[in-house]
Amino acid sequence: MTNKEQIQKEIEQTLQSLDGVQRATANPFLFTRIKARMQKQQSGWEKAYSFIARPVVALAVLIMVLGINFIAVYNVVTPTTATTAIETENDINNEYDYMASADSFDDQILNNQ
Amino acid sequence: MRNETELIEQLKNGDETAFRIIVEQWQDLVYNTILGIVQNETEAEDLAQDVFIKVFEKISSFKGDSKLSTWLYRIATTTALDHLRSKKRKKRFGFLQSLSGEGVDKVQVSDFIHPGVSLDNKERAAVLFKAIETLPENQKAAYTLHKLEGLSYRDVSEVLKTTVSAVESLMSRANQNLRKELETYYNRHYR
Repeated sequence: MTNKEQIQKEIEQTLQSLDGVQRATANPFLFTRIKARMQKQQSGWEKAYSFIARPVVALAVLIMVLGINFIAVYNVVTPTTATTAIETENDINNEYDYMASADSFDDQILNNQ
Repeated sequence: MRNETELIEQLKNGDETAFRIIVEQWQDLVYNTILGIVQNETEAEDLAQDVFIKVFEKISSFKGDSKLSTWLYRIATTTALDHLRSKKRKKRFGFLQSLSGEGVDKVQVSDFIHPGVSLDNKERAAVLFKAIETLPENQKAAYTLHKLEGLSYRDVSEVLKTTVSAVESLMSRANQNLRKELETYYNRHYR
């Protein structure tokens, strides 16, 4: 038998090695373990985690965070505009005051003359 | 003995006895299916527990269009394949960590020997399971359900929610891939 034929024979035998395989049996205490795990899941952090992990809750939290961010950004941007407007107004007022005082100074000089 | 429909109805009402009967009646089916896919007894037991917890939680969504066993096979197959996917991701992450110099335990690949294989076939079956490991997910699922659980192509198609001809094609490709893997293996060992 050539090497190639021998290899083909091995392959066929290997592919047939699962013929008539018996079903593997699970741990006889599987139910007890499942119950213990379910009880553990019901308590404490796992319960809180499963609540947080719910898509509805996660989505609500996400919307809330985005909302808070939006409000925060809005509040930061708006006062800056208002302050700038006030500052501009003050600048104009100051300018006018200066102009006014300059006018009265000119009037004074003219009157004195 | 309660019949399947009764058990399902009772489980939908939260009956613990019905749940216990379901677990005891189908635990070997679930465990063996998972074991064939993940090829690790400890992981298979944990995943079998996961499957039954899912069954308890999702029983209300079971419409009864298929047999309970088909539904169980489906959950078991999906759970096992998801587990393999997450294991692969962790392995990839571990590789990246090792590149960055952080210490990571290397994953030890053990030779899996299915407990149901006869003594004189154990060595060959171990080689075959190594080859099965290299199959794409859907081929692996179809091959395991057919070979280890003895399901017909029709039953496999119901579990995988596909057609019988698609299963035939999956099995044919799986056999081709296995032959290729085994040829490489034996070529190496006969030199």
